[in-house]
Amino acid sequence: MMNLRKEFTTLSITLMAIGIGINLAVGTIVLRLGLPLYLDSIGTVLVGALVGPWAGAATGFLSNLVWTLTGLFPQAFAWAGVAAIIGALAGVFARSGWFNTVGKAALAGIITGILSAVLSAPIATYVFGGVVGAGTDALVAAFRAAGLDALLSNVAQGTFSDPLDKLVTFLIVWSLLLALPAREKARFGNLPVAAGRPLQGKTRRPAGKKTAAKKAAKKSTRRR
Amino acid sequence: MIELKKFSYWYPGTEEPALQRISLDISEGEFVGIVGANGAGKSTLCYALSGFVPHFYNGESEGQLTFNGQDMAALDLGQLAGQVGLVFQNPFNQISGARFTVREEIAFGLENLGLPRSEMHARIDEALDLVNIQDLADRSPFSVSGGQQQRIAIASILAMQPRVLVLDEPTSQLDPDGTRDVFTALSKLVSTRKITVILAEHKLEWLATFCDRVIALGGGKLRAEGTPQEVLSSEQMLRLGIGRTQYSEAAARLLRTKKLPVTLEQAKKALK
Amino acid sequence: MRGGSIYIERTSGLHRLHPLTKVALTALCFASAAALPSLAWLLALFVGLLLPLAIWGRLTAAFLKSCLLVVGPFVISLTIIQGFFSGGETVLFRLGRFAFTQEGLLAGLTFAARLLVALGGTLLLMQSTPQAQLMQALTERGFPPRLAYVVLTAIQIFPSFQDRAQVIIDAQQARGLELQSGLLSRVRLLLPMVGPLILGSVMDVSERAMALEARAFSSPAPKTSLHSLADSPSQRILRWLLVLAAAALLAWRLWSALQ
Repeated sequence: MMNLRKEFTTLSITLMAIGIGINLAVGTIVLRLGLPLYLDSIGTVLVGALVGPWAGAATGFLSNLVWTLTGLFPQAFAWAGVAAIIGALAGVFARSGWFNTVGKAALAGIITGILSAVLSAPIATYVFGGVVGAGTDALVAAFRAAGLDALLSNVAQGTFSDPLDKLVTFLIVWSLLLALPAREKARFGNLPVAAGRPLQGKTRRPAGKKTAAKKAAKKSTRRR
Repeated sequence: MIELKKFSYWYPGTEEPALQRISLDISEGEFVGIVGANGAGKSTLCYALSGFVPHFYNGESEGQLTFNGQDMAALDLGQLAGQVGLVFQNPFNQISGARFTVREEIAFGLENLGLPRSEMHARIDEALDLVNIQDLADRSPFSVSGGQQQRIAIASILAMQPRVLVLDEPTSQLDPDGTRDVFTALSKLVSTRKITVILAEHKLEWLATFCDRVIALGGGKLRAEGTPQEVLSSEQMLRLGIGRTQYSEAAARLLRTKKLPVTLEQAKKALK
Repeated sequence: MRGGSIYIERTSGLHRLHPLTKVALTALCFASAAALPSLAWLLALFVGLLLPLAIWGRLTAAFLKSCLLVVGPFVISLTIIQGFFSGGETVLFRLGRFAFTQEGLLAGLTFAARLLVALGGTLLLMQSTPQAQLMQALTERGFPPRLAYVVLTAIQIFPSFQDRAQVIIDAQQARGLELQSGLLSRVRLLLPMVGPLILGSVMDVSERAMALEARAFSSPAPKTSLHSLADSPSQRILRWLLVLAAAALLAWRLWSALQ
């Protein structure tokens, strides 16, 4: 609770608005490109990682409120709690240094994805009658046909799409953090100092630090 | 009104000061121009004069920075907001986005100050008038051009009736039309209102026609100070990477005079 | 899918209602969706309450279209899944070893009708209420103004993010970079497209936040608003009645479930 106030400064409030904007913009574009992912939580994970769990939770929750208020996806509000937990998890993972390396970030993404699938399934089952009203309902039908009950079918459906979606989301956020100048990251105060530093661990120089970080970022992205 | 005494400032985690031992006294009603190459410290000085350094950015400072005799660090940003207005470079970033029409956007700051409704309407009308955007009042602030957005940003600050207006390169991201609109609004403001204005700007021709005094920065230090004619026509401007006005350059090539003109009017006289 | 609002400007009694009165109506819809026992009851509520409200708000066509777009996919999914997998005696037809039952069909349609009532109520609220008014009404009842800023700004900012991203996508396509090739390459194309956009907006956050402070965002003074929301004693009574009705419905549902 001590961090609550610290995570709602004007600076982080502004970042939250931008984060939700990113969620909606990328979410709708991905839908249009026909990718089998959602990628509608990049902003939530980014805010969680930079500012902390409370800010991440607020960004997730309010994102789903905004999806509802815009009428783009009115049922989104039912999943606002799950979105909040995703943002909070991103904040906890980042604080504990899980965004320091690509492997840990990927693992954090998969864990978050599994948890998200498990938490979303009861909502789909009991609020929406076991479906989500999208193409993935074909998977639910397949699992029901294979003999799983309503809840398990939805869990199974979720574990097909959510871990992959969150894996890609966390990797995107990891690479964004790598490219972001250290000065910007330090301003929000959640990430441990080493986060997003180049893997070879170049030492920080006070002068020309920005260009060094940029070069390193470029190098590591390429290496990937 | 705003006074700096040997003021130095370091951004968090940096070893080079962004401002170095700057002494400066700005009095009420003055129009002061700040010139300098990129990275010379113009923005940081603007932030210091409006209280964002040290309030918004942490970091370390030395020397004195006072507003009306009070230590700037002792005042809080909420109090300062109604006293000192700051206009930034990027118009898009200054639109709060929390309101849906230009009129409501201008009202946003006034709502935060807790003003009664009737006074808000009066102030908004006056501000719209000052920057000449009455016809945009009911449009969305996101549906207008950059120059119009920047004038909305200026109107939003003016409506708060600050005693000091600080503008940090308000036209750097605008096209020539937008630049002209902003400066026309500014000249109207200067002629109709008694308000202290501090303007950091690369466009020296415009600066020269408005300012009572010009301050030149280089490497975070104060390098020159004086009337536009004294400062902007000097050789030093070229060394600092600031350049000179087109009038000074033309006159330097055409005339053998020590006293170079810096505005169109002065150039006309000198060339006669 | 562009733009951040489904509000439709009309001069109507529904539009003039205080936003919280409409929120209370939506709450009643949610309670009814959860509590009403049968398909007939749910459809009766839709036809007897939501549809007349839409007609009163002069939004009939737009409202029905939105309902169809949002609830349509659920009708299809629910009919298939419940029809085949929720059991029942009366077999309508068979597909291999799976029987599609009348009871399952009814269960699916009932669930779809629940969603129609709940989501219909939400859609009608958003089609007849400007988001700014809704947030103002909530803020006046204690919703934190700083979070109201986040919500409203996000709503207004994301279309311009979309525009900028679209410019980049168009440029990529113009340069002949195919967006429709395999999954992996599409994801890999996406990052260079949106990465700079996201980084740029994060770097802009400081200036945005300072601009907010310059507008007295952190002023300790109690905030006022430019517009007043019209309210009336009768609406206040109506709101209480709606909330009571919603609570009563839920209580009745709970009670009959426990019996």
